[in-house]
Amino acid sequence: MAGPKLIKERVPTPEVPVEERIKSFVEVNLGYDFVSAVKEAERCLQCNPAPCIQGCPVHINIPGFIKALRENAESPEEAVKNALRIIWDDNTLPAITGRVCPQEEQCEAPCVMGKAGEPINIGKLERFVADYARKHGIEKELLKEFTSTENGVKGKVAVVGSGPAGLTCAGELAKMGYKVTIFEALHKPGGVLVYGIPEFRLPKEILDREIAKLKELGVEIKLDHIVGKTVTLEELLEEYDAVFIGTGAGTPKLLNIPGILLDRIYTANEFLTRINLMKAYKFPEYDEPISIGKKTIVIGAGNTAMDAARSALRMGSEVTIAYRRGREDMTARIEEIKHAEEEGVKFEFFLNPVEFIGDENGKVKAVKFEKMRPLEERDAKGKRKIVGTGEYITLEADTVIIAIGLEPNKIISEEATGLKTNPDGTLVVDENLMTSIPGVFAGGDAIRGEATVILAMGDGKKAAKAIDEYIQKKRLPA
Amino acid sequence: MGYKITKKENLSAIDFFMEVEAPHIAKSWKPGQFVVLIPDEKGERVPMSVYYAKDGKIGMFIRRHGVTTLKLWHEFHVGDEILSITGPLGKPIEVKHYGNVVFAADAVCAQAEAYATLKAMKEAGNYTIAIHSFENKANTYPEEYLAKPVADEFYITTEDGSVGRKGHYLDILKELIEQDKVDIVFAGGKLGSLKKLAELTRPYGIPTIVTVRQIMVDGTGMCGSCRVLYDGEIKFACRDGPMMDAHKIDWDDAIKRNARFAEQEKLAREIYLAKLREKGVI
Ligand SMILES: Cc1cc2nc3c(=O)[nH]c(=O)nc-3n(C[C@H](O)[C@H](O)[C@H](O)COP(=O)(O)OP(=O)(O)OC[C@H]3O[C@@H](n4cnc5c(N)ncnc54)[C@H](O)[C@@H]3O)c2cc1C
Ligand SMILES: Cc1cc2nc3c(=O)[nH]c(=O)nc-3n(C[C@H](O)[C@H](O)[C@H](O)COP(=O)(O)OP(=O)(O)OC[C@H]3O[C@@H](n4cnc5c(N)ncnc54)[C@H](O)[C@@H]3O)c2cc1C
Ligand code: SF4
Ligand code: FES
Repeated sequence: MAGPKLIKERVPTPEVPVEERIKSFVEVNLGYDFVSAVKEAERCLQCNPAPCIQGCPVHINIPGFIKALRENAESPEEAVKNALRIIWDDNTLPAITGRVCPQEEQCEAPCVMGKAGEPINIGKLERFVADYARKHGIEKELLKEFTSTENGVKGKVAVVGSGPAGLTCAGELAKMGYKVTIFEALHKPGGVLVYGIPEFRLPKEILDREIAKLKELGVEIKLDHIVGKTVTLEELLEEYDAVFIGTGAGTPKLLNIPGILLDRIYTANEFLTRINLMKAYKFPEYDEPISIGKKTIVIGAGNTAMDAARSALRMGSEVTIAYRRGREDMTARIEEIKHAEEEGVKFEFFLNPVEFIGDENGKVKAVKFEKMRPLEERDAKGKRKIVGTGEYITLEADTVIIAIGLEPNKIISEEATGLKTNPDGTLVVDENLMTSIPGVFAGGDAIRGEATVILAMGDGKKAAKAIDEYIQKKRLPA
Repeated sequence: MGYKITKKENLSAIDFFMEVEAPHIAKSWKPGQFVVLIPDEKGERVPMSVYYAKDGKIGMFIRRHGVTTLKLWHEFHVGDEILSITGPLGKPIEVKHYGNVVFAADAVCAQAEAYATLKAMKEAGNYTIAIHSFENKANTYPEEYLAKPVADEFYITTEDGSVGRKGHYLDILKELIEQDKVDIVFAGGKLGSLKKLAELTRPYGIPTIVTVRQIMVDGTGMCGSCRVLYDGEIKFACRDGPMMDAHKIDWDDAIKRNARFAEQEKLAREIYLAKLREKGVI
């Protein structure tokens, strides 16, 4: 089978040079153009069955869209339109997932080409299709095909939260012909996509376009509305046929160690929200302040830690990521770790913070860590267990960012007492994603704890189907 | 989409009153809760206490402090819209029969809360005592903005004695406590005063519930900016407060944390004032 066409290496995507990008928040990866995208698409073996589809949490027909892309190489517009149509069947936010999915653990992990050389660059192809379609007006045309002419006639649904779960659920329901209203606590829609993930990974104009798409589908977005405070769940249930809760996992976990209240110790959420949502990197042109010193330590090793580290770097600080486990246990996307390293972020492993040390003005000046040692034994997640060694080390830092994880907020569950939660604060749902309250569904990080954009979207889509069935059944005469 | 300013009035040399159309908040707000507002695209999110919420509108007292509040004063007028207002945020205070309820206030945020709190407390059958403290005559509010109509006992103090009694709410409170007249104290305003208040009531075991003002971003428990040490545990002032038991707060840390961005704020204020001068606004 390995004919003459087997090309082991990926067609590369250009990136902004390191010296340039560390000075600004411009997007780092520049993506494919049509010619190089087709070249990369031609490497695909069109496997059947295709393991990449299984690797994708929402089972996008990957060989299908790749084939559509390269089949019509003479007509880029046609090729992209066909490819996008196939992607949209399973994923309405490809410009986003193409940029933020951990492809190396999902679709690209089992890719057959990966055995012979490098797996197909599925993520960048997906992103290409979405970007090209947006730039050339193809998306708008296709949107008409997907839009229901019966908007609003099938019923009314309230969606709580405008992260990927809520956006997807709203979009799917609107396409089916429901009148959907999104309730969002913040003054901008997007969830983590707007307040967490920085512009150098996900430019805001891309998110803006996704939101505009929803509005074209007839979805209404009520910003500044906190369900559980501004309106209650009960009030929503009186007005709407069903409710979807996509409130995410927005509460930061903190280290309860001495010095935690010192100045310039931020949670990643505070740091990233100030920078991304409030544009503190443009202070004083923008009013939101931020205070960053010369030496930053970021604690953690997920995407959040990488985003915080690379943002601090762009604000002019030297940055070290300190992680209590080893390199192989870092949970961030490979591309983000690579970019962070290229940009000059340093990494320290097996260090567990035990105390923050402050100066006479109440600002942090150092972090004391206990050195950790890995054991052979593994925990439930397959990570090697670690133990303290009783040895300590102190690293200087005038800024610290804590990125050790998030948990769901309790705003709704505290107010709506009938809503059952698990001990970790996630909402209890059945196999149809319905919560303990009939007609109230939930998905994304609100039911999973911290997960990913694509899983949140998958839930949004699945819940939309279940909501449709639920409402239609309710409508049937008894 | 914005929220229209429906009233604006000067209160004193440093504070003003502003009313904004916010029907989504007005119908669910309860005493103790606050809002977060953003003036415009480039603005920051700032928490504000609520003086009243009625007929789809929110009334607030605002101190001309830094960029945001100066901007609201100089550039936003009746009929203009602000970009965003979110709420109600935080937990309402528990309104029930306590006996003699004091509300003590020495800065804007608490002057706003005094009226709303005592009104609810009076309706719940309590004997209500209001103490409004100001620095001097120039900073004192017109009486119609104070809690007089809902207070059984009413005091104004100024530090220089130019209006009302000379002194601070702490002085009056001390007298009231000695007369055995205080069952619970609610208070807000300057953190330094709240720290002293906590020390004043602690030996008597008088419950003391105060606004724990901290620098906030989202106001919903998402960012951790407003964290405080409460009974040895980390709590978020926006979500677990803002009114909390004054005896359990680590005030020294809370006071330090609230000055975190002093340098940046000063810089921004200077740049902004220079701009206003250039335009001839001031
Ligand atoms: C910094 C950072 C980087 C990340 N990077 C990646 C990545 O590269 N790839 C990846 O796949 N995943 C990444 N993740 C994880 C991913 O962003 C989340 O899994 C995903 O956003 C979850 O989506 P969601 O819709 O469930 O919730 P969220 O995106 O958290 O959105 C929830 C929304 O609900 C709103 N809300 C909450 N409570 C209420 C309420 N009571 N009323 C109204 N609105 C409410 C919130 O304001 C928010 O807008 C990252 C996360 C962070 C924090
Ligand atoms: C629960 C609560 C209720 C409040 N109620 C009122 C009120 O009714 N009237 C009023 O005038 N002020 C109130 N404040 C304080 C008000 O939010 C700040 O004064 C305002 O943010 C100042 O913004 P600025 O840009 O004008 O000034 P800046 O120059 O930015 O700040 C001046 C001072 O205000 C404080 N501050 C700044 N930003 C914030 C922030 N995002 N959150 C909290 N404090 C901040 C800091 O102590 C700072 O030193 C309240 C604060 C809290 C936490
Ligand atoms: S597994 Fe790889 S080569 Fe096979 S169809 Fe999927 S992307 Fe193409
Ligand atoms: S203001 Fe963000 S957690 Fe309180």
